[in-house]
Amino acid sequence: MEIIAAYGTAMLILAVIFGLYMTWGIGANDLANAMGTSVGAGAVTVKQAICIAIIFEFLGAVLAGGHVTKTIRKGIIDPTSLVDNPEILVYGMLASLLAAAVWLMIASAKGWPVSTTHSIIGALIGFAIVGIGPEAVKWGKVGSVVLSWVISPAVGGTISFLLVISTRKLIFDTDDPLKNAKRYAPVYIFLVGFIISLVTMFKGLKHLNLELSALQSFGVATLFGILTASIGWIFIRKIKDDPTANRSFSYASVEKVFTPMMLFTACAMAFAHGSNDVANGIGPLAAVYSIISSGGDVMQSSTLPIWILLLGGAGIVLGLITLGYRVMLTVGKKITELTPSRGFCAELAAATTVVLASRTGLPVSTTHILVGSVLGVGLARGVGAVDLRVVLNIIISWLVTLPAGAIMAMLFFFTLKGIFS
Amino acid sequence: MPLISNRGLSGLLRGSPFKPIQQHMSAVFSCVCLIPPLFDAVYKNDAKLVAEFADQISFLETEADKLKSTFRLNMPRSLFMPVDRKDLLSLIADQDKIADTAEDIGKIFLYRPMVVPEGIKEFLDELLEGTMEITAAAKVMIEQLDELMELGFGGREHDKVYKMIAGVRRSEHNIDEIIHRGRKQLYAIEKELDPVTVIFWYKIIELLGLISDQSENLADRLLLFLSK
Repeated sequence: MEIIAAYGTAMLILAVIFGLYMTWGIGANDLANAMGTSVGAGAVTVKQAICIAIIFEFLGAVLAGGHVTKTIRKGIIDPTSLVDNPEILVYGMLASLLAAAVWLMIASAKGWPVSTTHSIIGALIGFAIVGIGPEAVKWGKVGSVVLSWVISPAVGGTISFLLVISTRKLIFDTDDPLKNAKRYAPVYIFLVGFIISLVTMFKGLKHLNLELSALQSFGVATLFGILTASIGWIFIRKIKDDPTANRSFSYASVEKVFTPMMLFTACAMAFAHGSNDVANGIGPLAAVYSIISSGGDVMQSSTLPIWILLLGGAGIVLGLITLGYRVMLTVGKKITELTPSRGFCAELAAATTVVLASRTGLPVSTTHILVGSVLGVGLARGVGAVDLRVVLNIIISWLVTLPAGAIMAMLFFFTLKGIFS
Repeated sequence: MPLISNRGLSGLLRGSPFKPIQQHMSAVFSCVCLIPPLFDAVYKNDAKLVAEFADQISFLETEADKLKSTFRLNMPRSLFMPVDRKDLLSLIADQDKIADTAEDIGKIFLYRPMVVPEGIKEFLDELLEGTMEITAAAKVMIEQLDELMELGFGGREHDKVYKMIAGVRRSEHNIDEIIHRGRKQLYAIEKELDPVTVIFWYKIIELLGLISDQSENLADRLLLFLSK
């Protein structure tokens, strides 16, 4: 208790710095992957993508980021045995943040496709094992989180598979694909707005003192869907048949309808990313703040202050502006192989899956889910060639990240403990 | 230290394998397109022109070969594609054989100046026209590959390409008959010609027939894509 009283402010400042460092790394890597598809399809320029990211990342973090933050903050570690030594938990949270951020940086430099989510969970587990004891890890919860890492890409893949099939049935495999594309495009855009807002609102806005009943949520989500569909219609109604483009590829005009639609999935992806990945950086920060502001309450009964969510969003945006735009350019250039219709399906599937996971409080990897969604398109025989080596790399990095994050968290934990006491 | 890791996603999608296949087919088709002018030059006994066309065919065949090699180098086993990797490799090999055959025909006229016997001129024209038709049909069929992928190798595109395949097969059958008639005509005038020349004319007819056989093979390969 004395340590917290004596060094509380210093610890909080450290937590803010580490949290910003971590979210900066997330913004530099992850977010660019999430939005690269829309950039590649030419739906948005890099500048527009950054503007979209700034707005929707914040919205995602503030409106739907609380559930995952709660999981990271108090879902993984059981602090009951630390009631008399709250500073241990503070060291641990600081060490985990630093470990995850440093591991992210090393992996990025080496070009390994690691996930920020996996790094922070691995780090938390590592600290808990040496700092408190293996029994302090809520293994049941950890198990469900790890399971969600396997299931979520599969869910994303299944949704995108079904979406691709639906676009074929309703649009491409018809006598007048362009007419049908224009007819159904607003429906798909409606789905983007409807699903994302419904998942977010359904019993999910308590932290804003906004409690909507099931019916109200449905109502507002429908209105929101109609709003997005109307905005989409403004873009789409102008699209005309282009016989020159159709000569080399008969569906060129139809695909053009999907290009503006990817603007909406870009927003959805940024929102989804904000709702899930911001927590990786601010969860531990929130824990440190809660312990220090309450004078050493490890159970963290206080609610999550909004400024922490905003700080996380700011860190991510900073990462995106300083480095992420370059990644976005690279990803965007390479991912043009996905036609706009497939890109739309993959992004919508990924955003839906991520937001669902966020709502359930499961920290998942946006990039992995997007990869799963692209594979879903592949299973529908909808994309030229997917390199499975990349998928294998991801799985290997996934397996390495957990112990790597854990070991680094252990080292940082003992270092911090030594410095402060 | 760079803080950029983009291999998560950017390496995931490789270029569509159908584009290089189509480029290759278009190179192969330009080889075949030079065969009728080559024969025209032979009709006119213009050795210089014959050499020019034969060289051009040779040049285009080398270009097609390069495309084929690049394609093969970019086909690691780890690729997950809507069609079987082996079928794709066989398809481009079959396409390449058409260019090879065109080159072989050109080469014969290069090393052995030939005079076209009056008796088979009409037949040769008919055969050349048929050969052009069938390779053009095969090229159009290959050009449908990206459209096929757009519909997941099913639906309306499937039916459309299926009809094209049937069309190529019918043409091949017709060409077989033309060749049969042509050989009879050649046999009828055999005795008036130098024996070695006769052997070469048989050889040239056979090579022209091979082009349509190979075009039919492409149709059969495509059928495999449809049935997967």
